[in-house]
Amino acid sequence: MADGGRRIPKTNSLCPVCLERIPAEIVNREQEYCLEKGCRDHGRFSTVIWRGDNPPFEQWGNYVPPPQSKVAQPDCPNACGLCPGHLQKTCCVLVEVTGRCNLNCPFCFAQSGGNPADPTVAHLSDSFKELVRQDCTFIQLSGGEPTLRDDLPEIVAAAKAAGCENIQLNSNGIRLGKDRAYTKALAQAGLSFVFMQFDGTENVIHEKLRGRPLLAEKQAAIKACAGERIGITLVPTVVPGVNDDNLGDILNFGFSNSPAVRGVHFQPVSYFGRHPRPPRNEDRITLPEVLRAIERQTSGKVNIADFVPSGCDHPRCGFHGDFVVLPDALMPLTPEPKTCSCSQEDSKAHIKNRNFVARRWKRTPADSGMECCSNNDFGDMDNFLSRVRSHGFTITAMAFQDAYTFDIERLRQCSLHVYAEGRLIPFCARYLTAETCHG
Amino acid sequence: MRTATACASARRDSGVEAEKRIWKCGICKIELVMKKTVFSYLGHNVSHEVPTCPKCGKIFIPEGLAEGKMAEVEQQLEDK
Repeated sequence: MADGGRRIPKTNSLCPVCLERIPAEIVNREQEYCLEKGCRDHGRFSTVIWRGDNPPFEQWGNYVPPPQSKVAQPDCPNACGLCPGHLQKTCCVLVEVTGRCNLNCPFCFAQSGGNPADPTVAHLSDSFKELVRQDCTFIQLSGGEPTLRDDLPEIVAAAKAAGCENIQLNSNGIRLGKDRAYTKALAQAGLSFVFMQFDGTENVIHEKLRGRPLLAEKQAAIKACAGERIGITLVPTVVPGVNDDNLGDILNFGFSNSPAVRGVHFQPVSYFGRHPRPPRNEDRITLPEVLRAIERQTSGKVNIADFVPSGCDHPRCGFHGDFVVLPDALMPLTPEPKTCSCSQEDSKAHIKNRNFVARRWKRTPADSGMECCSNNDFGDMDNFLSRVRSHGFTITAMAFQDAYTFDIERLRQCSLHVYAEGRLIPFCARYLTAETCHG
Repeated sequence: MRTATACASARRDSGVEAEKRIWKCGICKIELVMKKTVFSYLGHNVSHEVPTCPKCGKIFIPEGLAEGKMAEVEQQLEDK
């Protein structure tokens, strides 16, 4: 083990080169926490997972390492599909509908590209039925870029017919803004809401992360979805030195586009799939840094105290804050005490989370937001309810794991799963790639 | 959800027509009047007009309000 430092819990991780399972420790040196591990063939690795003491690492989510599973675990994560050692049920399940994409981003979690055959609508329909049978009714259609499929409205309709209650589209938004008839068809088929890649409010950011300026196309997508009353959540990948100084502007952009925009979901960059080069620690931004940047860059409009750790995943996998956008202000709704009501011990946590995000991200039938309010007294019960239904706004984050940061204790608590080859696989296990897969 | 009035006690009627009835305070025997009342839940305050005894200040919460708007406020404020 590297010199000095206070060791916190032991866990298991992977060698980023050969993906062999190896023991790991979290080591604290001053205000930095690193996941440290060694592979007999490929040497030692130390990767930062938490910087700074606001919020403090050890108090975040009253984190207590879970007991080691007494259940015999298969070769986690190599044989992954949910096993008896997994601690959390499925909240959202991701279904890949294509591997094709209309961008060629330097950063791509899914390593999209090429021209593999798309699954048929009939095959996907069978998958949706099986998922509903397993009580997985919140699905995300993903890829690749799903909107490359002309038959995506049929896929949405098949999911709806199978009994999926919430159908989310993961998209870069390009076609949604350009092809209004297509967006309308998606809405009519029953699409619930869109997770739209949105890395910043300046084109230079899009050029760096996606290869070309995209801001106008993103704005067109928001307008098109607003016209069809499809809620949009903006999803920035946060990369140090590229857009970590733009988080406040992204939030203000989201607030100003409420109620069409329902929230912002930050994803600190992780190094799996396609990325320009093997990561150094300075290429990483950790959750507390994202929180501090949000507070600083919104001049205190949004505060760290407005957020709680993920409750139906591992606390270090993300955070969420719940707000209402008022005409001239932002009202935080995060309750006292600042804890998430769903927890790892709560067998219904995944359902609570599912219902919560659906309530916030879906647009209600009449939610221009002002038609019900005779004045701006949002302390009035009727006005409050009208406004929270129409202008509820979530700020969330999810820190995906890569082969360097991979912590099997976190994996065991994952509720975001991918349906593939007839199995439910935790997201970070499904997209795990070894060091050589960059570029 | 609780009211900000210290002495307030919530009662729930059973009839669907309850909100149309004229109610009297069981203690003071005075007809209740509509009065804005502040409800607190999880650190948030919202106000609504409810039948209130003008003498002792006790309030009456109709079933429709309890199971309708008040329940929705609670749901909206409860975290996921």
